[in-house]
Amino acid sequence: MNPLKNTPSCPNQECEGYNLLNLKKIIPWYNLSRNIIWVGKGELRKIPVPANRYTPLKESWMKIFTPIVEHLQLQIRFNLKTRNVEIKTCQETKDLSALTKAADFVKAFILGFQVEDALALIRLDDLFLESFEVTDVKPLKGDHLSRAIGRIAGKGGKTKFTIENVTRTRIVLADAKIHILGSFQNIKMARTAICNLILGSPPSKVYGNIRAVASRAAERF
Amino acid sequence: MVRFMRREWFGSGGGMVRFRRREWFSSGRGMVRFMRREWFGVAGAAAARPECFLSVQDGLAADFRAMTKTLYDLNKGSNIVRGGPLKELVIENFDEEQIWQQLELRNNAVLDFFKKSIAKDAEDEDLCLFSDQEEDGSDAETNSDKELEDNIMEDETEQINVHTKDKDKTKAKEKQSKLSKSLMQKYSDEDSDIDFDIEALEQQAKTAKETTLRKKGRKSVVDDKFFKLAEMETFLEHAEKEDKEEEDDDDDDINYFEDIISDYEEDSEEAKVKPIKSSRDMTYEDFFDSVDDDDGDDDLVANDAEKNQEEEADSAIEEQNEESMSEFEDVDEMVEHARSKEASKKVTFSLPDDSETEHVTEEQLEKDINPSEIKSSFEKRQEKMSKKIKSLEDALLEEKPWQLKGEVTGQKRPENSLLEETVLFDHAVRMAPVITEETTFQLEDIIKQRILDEAWDDVVPKEKPKEEAFEYKKRISLDHEKSKLSLAEIYEQEYMKLHQQKTEEEENPEHKEIQEMMDSLFQKLDALCNFHFTPKPPVPEVKIVSNLPAISMEEVAPVAVSDAALLAPEEIKKKNKAGDVKTDAEKTPTDKKRELRRKKLRKRMRRREKEKREKLLEKMKPEQGTKLSKKAAAAKLKRLTKEGKASLLKDEGKDKALKSSQAFFSQLQDQVRMQIKDATKLKKKQKKEKAISVQKLKL
Repeated sequence: MNPLKNTPSCPNQECEGYNLLNLKKIIPWYNLSRNIIWVGKGELRKIPVPANRYTPLKESWMKIFTPIVEHLQLQIRFNLKTRNVEIKTCQETKDLSALTKAADFVKAFILGFQVEDALALIRLDDLFLESFEVTDVKPLKGDHLSRAIGRIAGKGGKTKFTIENVTRTRIVLADAKIHILGSFQNIKMARTAICNLILGSPPSKVYGNIRAVASRAAERF
Repeated sequence: MVRFMRREWFGSGGGMVRFRRREWFSSGRGMVRFMRREWFGVAGAAAARPECFLSVQDGLAADFRAMTKTLYDLNKGSNIVRGGPLKELVIENFDEEQIWQQLELRNNAVLDFFKKSIAKDAEDEDLCLFSDQEEDGSDAETNSDKELEDNIMEDETEQINVHTKDKDKTKAKEKQSKLSKSLMQKYSDEDSDIDFDIEALEQQAKTAKETTLRKKGRKSVVDDKFFKLAEMETFLEHAEKEDKEEEDDDDDDINYFEDIISDYEEDSEEAKVKPIKSSRDMTYEDFFDSVDDDDGDDDLVANDAEKNQEEEADSAIEEQNEESMSEFEDVDEMVEHARSKEASKKVTFSLPDDSETEHVTEEQLEKDINPSEIKSSFEKRQEKMSKKIKSLEDALLEEKPWQLKGEVTGQKRPENSLLEETVLFDHAVRMAPVITEETTFQLEDIIKQRILDEAWDDVVPKEKPKEEAFEYKKRISLDHEKSKLSLAEIYEQEYMKLHQQKTEEEENPEHKEIQEMMDSLFQKLDALCNFHFTPKPPVPEVKIVSNLPAISMEEVAPVAVSDAALLAPEEIKKKNKAGDVKTDAEKTPTDKKRELRRKKLRKRMRRREKEKREKLLEKMKPEQGTKLSKKAAAAKLKRLTKEGKASLLKDEGKDKALKSSQAFFSQLQDQVRMQIKDATKLKKKQKKEKAISVQKLKL
């Protein structure tokens, strides 16, 4: 499974650490040149929407729409026939990575993340999205698989929330698929914890491990 | 006589007749003396005309032969010395060699005997030498030659005895050593010794005689290279002294006062270490002193080789002819001693070094190119310069030494050559400091100063910060609920934290201080000036109280949480306004009324709510509404009664409370009567209708 890495499309782009609050416009050197030669149609991205996410999309359409159009200066629409969200660049687009970010943002929402959480993708540069399946870690079938998923979730989602809070990530548990959103190190921590749960260790042990790792990471920074 | 004989040997061509001194040994003294006289007569006659010896003299030879024969027979006859196969010496028609060989046979036997006797006497500790008195004794006798000659044999015999007896132990030892040496030498150089011995001996004896005479230093007309008259005379005097002493004493008695070699006693004790030289390697110096006419002492060059040769001769002679050797021995020893003395005085030259000589030769060769020219200083300098240049050029052209060859492994340079080199290299590690006096003084100064200041370097005990598990857990508390903040907000908060910390640190301390100071000041001022001053309201301290049980705060993973535990009793049930809960008996009329009022109010509210709901329901869902309302129920009842599905039970006297059983039963009776009446009425009516209903059929 190739995780959807939100790598910037242009390799030469120099990204500053956290683009919080201000959506800094980092103008790479060839963006200017691109603007000069930019003629005609821009880039287009299509993101398919599965049926179960249709209604949530409808409900939070405004929340999705606003940051893309206003902050990233892109054009977005939902093609009802093809059931695709289409994002297009336009003349006002200043950032070349905006399209990628927008696409990733929409994709994250489609996968199941909250809009506010997915919004962090736009605001921060170094957030990534990783997806994998439970059967990738260990080939499980039937009840075992269900139990594994249950272990990951915990009672009322307790375990999942704990992992999210400690590692500062967001986890979506869609049946046998797991999606993790966060920075690279945090994704790693969360992934380790989830894998341990799949493999069968009790939650208390996993809590202990995560806590230790998280404290170390926190100390470092 | 001996001396004369010697001279005759020297004078003659040598080898005509070989006289062995040992042949003069004879047992009986009288016989000896007789023989001596005979010899003397013959020899004296011969000696008187020495020029006769230039040619062969047969008559003299025959006389000598006869004499030897008689002497031999005499000697053989005596029983002191045994040995030898021949009883008499045969000389008729016998060649020299043949006679000689006959003598040889006898000599061997005698030789052994003498060896043993000498060995015995050498070991004998009773023998010793007395120097001065002996000489006096001997001097007294030196008057007539005849007496001397008479005493010669005696002397010889005695001297040997004396010699052996009177010598010190050291001398005896020396003799022994000489014996051993001579033995060795004899066996090594047997062939040569036999031939050369006598000649060497003759020459030695001559030189010895000469040396003794040289000592005195007198010079006469007769003196020549080899002969000194003064020496001879001294020797003779010495011998005469001994003879005289011998005459006085018995042969067997040890003459304590006789001293043979008095002058050289001291020297005799010198340890003589002489290298052993084979007789084939002898040179002129070994036999002769260096030729010098004037100074006697200079000629006494004590060559070791010469001494050795003397020793050899001495020892050889000793073995062969012990007694006769005495004089010679003495002389030889004297000579030896003299020579040993001289050896110590010998001057040695330090020869120049070969290198220097080579240098010198080279330089001379070079300089000899133009020895005649006189060079100017400039030319000399130029020459030197050119030589230097040449040497430098040669050095450059040559193969360089290993030190200059760059990277050199162990195989390319000689063994252990690096030890002799002073090698410079970088030290990666700091070198240990060299402890000198200065450093120690510095240290001591520091120590003294520290002691005065009392600035000790005591180890401060460190405490490891113990973090309790509780605090550690608290640090990162696990939140099991869904976080209220979105991811973006979380990161935002973190970012702010990171960036704000810096600013806070910079600003706060000073500002805080200022603020505090101002506050305190104003407070004081206010207290002084403002009487109606109202204090500032206390800053409300915001305390966050989380309504969580303590166990849930502590515990990491709370397993069970119940609301009952969370809420207080008042929260669960409101407290009575009156305060305490009263029973009905305790309640006052106001309380009762209050309760009644409350009750009515509650009921009223409920009813109203109900009606509202029903109204809504009626509007929304009319079916459900009818069921519930009272009117709807009455209407339904009517309908049912009309249809005949339900019948109303009349209620008569039911309101009354039935107190007794009689009343109850009477009422029951009445009810039954009523029912019967009704039934009869209904029957009449039913007959009319005759409608079959399911209810009537049902029983």
